Amino acid sequence: MATHAISKSSPWSGGKSPFKVSYGKLMMWVFLLSDAFTFSSLLIGYGALRYSFPSTEEAITEISAEKLSDVPVTDGVVHFDVTENLIERYAPAGEHHGDHHTDYFIEKMQETGIFSETHWPSPDLVFNHFPGFGIFDFHGMHLPLFFVSLMTLILIFSSVTMVLAVEAGQRKSKSEVSKWMLWTILGGFAFLSCQAWEWTQFIQAGATPWVNPYGPATFAALFFLVTGFHGFHVFSGVVLNVIIYINNLKGTYDDRGHYEMVEKVGLYWHFVDLVWVFVFTFFYLI
Amino acid sequence: MSATTHSNSNIHDEENYDPTVWVPEQHSHGTKDIWMKFWILLGLTIIDVVFYFAMDPSMARNVLFIVLGVVKAIYIVGTFMHMKHEKLSLASMIIVPMVFILFFVYWMLYEGNFWGSFN
Repeated sequence: MATHAISKSSPWSGGKSPFKVSYGKLMMWVFLLSDAFTFSSLLIGYGALRYSFPSTEEAITEISAEKLSDVPVTDGVVHFDVTENLIERYAPAGEHHGDHHTDYFIEKMQETGIFSETHWPSPDLVFNHFPGFGIFDFHGMHLPLFFVSLMTLILIFSSVTMVLAVEAGQRKSKSEVSKWMLWTILGGFAFLSCQAWEWTQFIQAGATPWVNPYGPATFAALFFLVTGFHGFHVFSGVVLNVIIYINNLKGTYDDRGHYEMVEKVGLYWHFVDLVWVFVFTFFYLI
Repeated sequence: MSATTHSNSNIHDEENYDPTVWVPEQHSHGTKDIWMKFWILLGLTIIDVVFYFAMDPSMARNVLFIVLGVVKAIYIVGTFMHMKHEKLSLASMIIVPMVFILFFVYWMLYEGNFWGSFN
């Protein structure tokens, strides 16, 4: 009861929040700091293991010229263009290979030794599919990076709709919170669907956490572990967003007098987006 | 200090601070900044894609991608997570410990290079 008598001259002299945030929001920040360490460990582990293997480019320069007899060789030095030549030759589905173009491509790359257990595969050669339908048929085409860039945009956009929901909550506009939360939930589902498709492509090529047709098994293990751990965070975020959406419809936050719960779950959702920025950088760009 | 003591008090009241219910008053900073940061993040992602195709893999390109990633992180944490509107003490408490990650990155890449020497 004596709290009122305590001197409040300094933020740390007691009787009020030194950080000027509620207890719940402070704890969300502390949790996110710990989660940032978790993801950093996963990504740094990936970096260390990847750095311990020579890359696809190095594999190409090491492979004997006879094996690459029908690809251009200048002064005994095989250039990185070789992979592009190989892709042009084997990756397009064409008329010959039909649905088995991926198997055919992997087989040829393994034959030349570009895909081997001793060389870390370039993401360019692994994640190069884009879903097609109807007249937009991208089947068997070499389209690296485009699909994950689309996933990145979906997640960034859902982050924007989330922060718009938080902003609407600050103005205590219940209907606008509903609208933006719904968009955020849809963005989350879209991202999870894309990830499911991405995993399906990799698994259909024969990858498991212990087997990787593109190169070292460690690559597949880390891919499933890190993108799976991130994907589970996205899934948890979607569940939390749905709870917030339903609570808002019921008028829970209107009755409470503030919409801080939207902001706290928003912090988690933005963190998931933040982690993806680095997963995108280290798994796909580098 | 039980919640019931101040059950009729204002939840924003700092003079009768009750940690179980107290929240600071919320102020909207508008949506203009949010949309601007969206266009910046979109632009940075497009720059990533352009350099991915325009440049052959190299250490310089890797550094560029990491720098762009950190810039994106600053906008996400600063604007979307409202870090720039928080008190400096809170922002420091979250950001300063992340410095240790840099040591971890250096040590583990050094270690990874050593593992590579066995191959």
